[in-house]
Amino acid sequence: MAKKRSAFLMIWVILAVICLFMFLKYASPKVFQMLMAKSHPMPTPSTLMMWYMIMGVLAGLVYATTSNQKFADFLSFLLPSRGPIIKSLLQKLLFVSFPVLVGWFVYSWSIPGAASPVELRIQHPTLPQEFEKLENPFREKDADTQRKSIEEGKILFQTYCRPCHGSKADGNGPFANSFRLRPINFQDPGTIATVVDNYLFWRIKEGAPGLPSESTPWDSAMPSWKDDLKDDEIWMIIMGEYDTAGVMPRQREKLE
Amino acid sequence: MNKFKILLQSTGRSFFAVVLLFLALFFSSISFLDAFTPDVLAQAVKEGESAASGVELPQFEAGSQPAAPLQASEGEAAAGAGTTTAAAEEEEVGPVQYRPFFGMDSRVVVWIVSELHLMFAAFVLGVPIFAVIVEIVGYKGGDVKYDKMAKEFTKLLSAAFATTASLGGLLGFCLFGLYPEFMGHMTNVFAPTMYVYALMFFGEAFTLYGYYYSWEILKGTAAKKWFHITLGVLLNLFGTGLMFLTNSWATYMMSPAGIVPSTGKLVSLYHAIYNPLWMPVNIHRLIANVCFGGFVVGAYAAVKFLGAKTEEERAHYDWMGYVGNFVGVGALIPLPFAGYWLGREVYSSSPVMGNIMMGGAFSWTFIIQAILIGMLFIGANYYLWLGMGRIKGSERYTKFIKYLIFVIFMCFAVWLTPHNLPLSGEERAMIGEQYHPFSKYFGVMAAKNAVVNLIILATFFSFLIYRRSNKGDTIPFSEQGKAGKIGIFSALIFCLLMLVSYAISLNFVELEANIKVFVKPLIGALYIQSFFVCLAAFLTFKNKGKLGQAILFAVTACIAVLYFWYYGFQVMQKANLVLRYLSVTQVAIVMSCLIMNAIIDVFIFRKAKLVGGIVWGKMPVRSQYALILLCVVIVILMGLMGFIRSGLRMDWHIYGVLQDTSQWAYTPTLAYMGRIVGLIVALFLGLVAFVFWLANLGDKKEKEKVKDYEYESKPEGIAAGYTDTH
Repeated sequence: MAKKRSAFLMIWVILAVICLFMFLKYASPKVFQMLMAKSHPMPTPSTLMMWYMIMGVLAGLVYATTSNQKFADFLSFLLPSRGPIIKSLLQKLLFVSFPVLVGWFVYSWSIPGAASPVELRIQHPTLPQEFEKLENPFREKDADTQRKSIEEGKILFQTYCRPCHGSKADGNGPFANSFRLRPINFQDPGTIATVVDNYLFWRIKEGAPGLPSESTPWDSAMPSWKDDLKDDEIWMIIMGEYDTAGVMPRQREKLE
Repeated sequence: MNKFKILLQSTGRSFFAVVLLFLALFFSSISFLDAFTPDVLAQAVKEGESAASGVELPQFEAGSQPAAPLQASEGEAAAGAGTTTAAAEEEEVGPVQYRPFFGMDSRVVVWIVSELHLMFAAFVLGVPIFAVIVEIVGYKGGDVKYDKMAKEFTKLLSAAFATTASLGGLLGFCLFGLYPEFMGHMTNVFAPTMYVYALMFFGEAFTLYGYYYSWEILKGTAAKKWFHITLGVLLNLFGTGLMFLTNSWATYMMSPAGIVPSTGKLVSLYHAIYNPLWMPVNIHRLIANVCFGGFVVGAYAAVKFLGAKTEEERAHYDWMGYVGNFVGVGALIPLPFAGYWLGREVYSSSPVMGNIMMGGAFSWTFIIQAILIGMLFIGANYYLWLGMGRIKGSERYTKFIKYLIFVIFMCFAVWLTPHNLPLSGEERAMIGEQYHPFSKYFGVMAAKNAVVNLIILATFFSFLIYRRSNKGDTIPFSEQGKAGKIGIFSALIFCLLMLVSYAISLNFVELEANIKVFVKPLIGALYIQSFFVCLAAFLTFKNKGKLGQAILFAVTACIAVLYFWYYGFQVMQKANLVLRYLSVTQVAIVMSCLIMNAIIDVFIFRKAKLVGGIVWGKMPVRSQYALILLCVVIVILMGLMGFIRSGLRMDWHIYGVLQDTSQWAYTPTLAYMGRIVGLIVALFLGLVAFVFWLANLGDKKEKEKVKDYEYESKPEGIAAGYTDTH
């Protein structure tokens, strides 16, 4: 009985890889749609799809070769034998489907088509030197002044930033749907919570035109506010923005 | 004994001379050190440029315009020959900032030479640490094969040492020749340490060669052997000291301290050495060197195994490969913790540099790093699983392998998922958000820390089932005698001290009240873990050690992986200052589990019946290729991390103090970096293979001599039998 089971090891590995593919391609977009209460599915990006599939295949091969016995069982499926009829059928299916699969890959890669290139975007481009040593003037003030700056900053935020970034700073402003790349959700802990105050100062002041090319400034609709807002107003917006989003900026740490 | 006396006499004179030289230099440098006390730093900073103490350095202006490189001034001088003016002459004799290397890019030359030097140095510093340990284990256990292996490690070491020194010399000449102004600054700051470095190098050379060449002489009595082991320990002390010194130079370039930043004036050598990144890099490199040495030795053993002609040879190199992998994995387990500490200190010393590292220009190199680290863990585990095939009785545990593969690959998937994905325009539009959920929840440090801890726990579990494979019926713990009780009790006290003392210290961290509330769950987690560590010890005393281990594993995974994954997100949002304490708590909890479970395992399986023994040499060939892969991966990893550490300074020689105004002051593209690191890896592996081949030339000659002698002096049948078994 045990021998019969192990003779199909290669098929089990292939089935596991197919299951992984089905999950990533069809199940996970629906699962994320439900979990995140979206109106549309969240397709797995092709880069991740490729990486996860490579790992799935690698995991299967590692499993099939962890002992000599398993490795022999794995390969034995390809050898002719007087096994059950199902094995013979699966062998034939494998010998036909593998070249077909390879052919399909080659065809889909080489067929001419139009698609925008995949961009290797840099999330936090290097802060220019002139912004590196700046300090938010309101962070070190007394509690009253801080509170006032936050309140004023919130008003400025609602005036200038809300249309895109939303009244809750969650990236859901009234204009948000009109952008191909939606405005950033500041409540997400991976965004403004990971950078210092002066980083935001740079981003607000210079906007997308001030981004270096590796950060694909053409993918951002962020305007430059340096001609419309004074420095103090930008610092107040930053105070109000963090408070609205309910997150804290990265703070400079005392060295041990 | 006579040989011992001769050795002492012959080394005595040179040793005395070195001590004299060391003392002379030490006293001459005292005058420097007097001025480098912390008090002087505060005073000198206050006094600024008019500080009376300290060494005057060249004045540097951040952001100054690039100076004309030498080739330009040479060209101009040639063009203007015949109309030479006094001004042109002055320009020619003025200070040179940069020189090209025969028309090549100076930075690439320094990059390649320094990486090769560092890789050889890592091997030379890492291997003696475990060579001495193996020698001690062999001596205490009375097993000659350990002694033989430790000597073989040292043989490789002595061959690599000369190459390391030659590359170090070449690096020094390159730096002084190609970057004279920068090296002028470094010399002004670190001159006293450079003399100490040279002296310690003598110390390392003498102890290394003494250690290797006296191996056979210092055998026979306990006193001789311990003297030999002491030489090995001294070798490690000198080597570690050397590394710490050079680390101070390298880390000063990243986080300069002890100088007045605006003028570059040195006010405290102590602070220049003990700069914010010095100790994190020291610890990280110390562990990484052992890991590197282990995997390189493993690959050496694998190559020898593949070429072995006899069963005995195959068995020896199989065992050596196992030890190499064991050392490599042993060091690999704490390495992420040390790396995380270093990363945090980079953020602490400069949040901007931190952002460049993890979110900016270098973020993609960390994805490559994640892939390489994942490959190391998978490769090391794969080797362990294959190794179970040579142990009779391992069949009882092979059922766990599929679960381990699932866990490790799942963790690997999370580990390498970037926060910012490469997306096409269509994909961006379809996702409709900045982040896909996979990258949103898997791409941040909270998730990475959680899964790397789970990979570590899974690797540890692999090792536990490997060592249990040969063990059968155990005797009750209550019959283990005093050693068992003392062992468990000591481990318990150690773990409790670590957990409880850290929990208490967290009560006193100075944070604002609204941030400090985020520390309380960490304290709670530490106390919960302390309770379960006690429970595991208690169950062991009640002869239920395996149950205790299982409970401790489960609780650790729940707290350090699941809970901290979730809590890490909370802390990131509201109180990033608490991340520092969260990561230490996570490390403390995982370490307590590893220590307690390892000690419990040692004592519950002590004196257990052996099931069948280990058949050394009975390993599939692919296991040896796994060892070679591990070596190649760790070499690539070291090349990559070297680039990251150095490149983080961007266009600064010394971050924020001395700007790199050369024409090569740009951050290379990933493709360019890949090509250079690939070249370095190929050069290193080629050189190391050549050096090891040289080291074995003598052995071949010796073996042939022995063979000829045996053949001539014994009847044909015996000679044939000898060669068959050897």
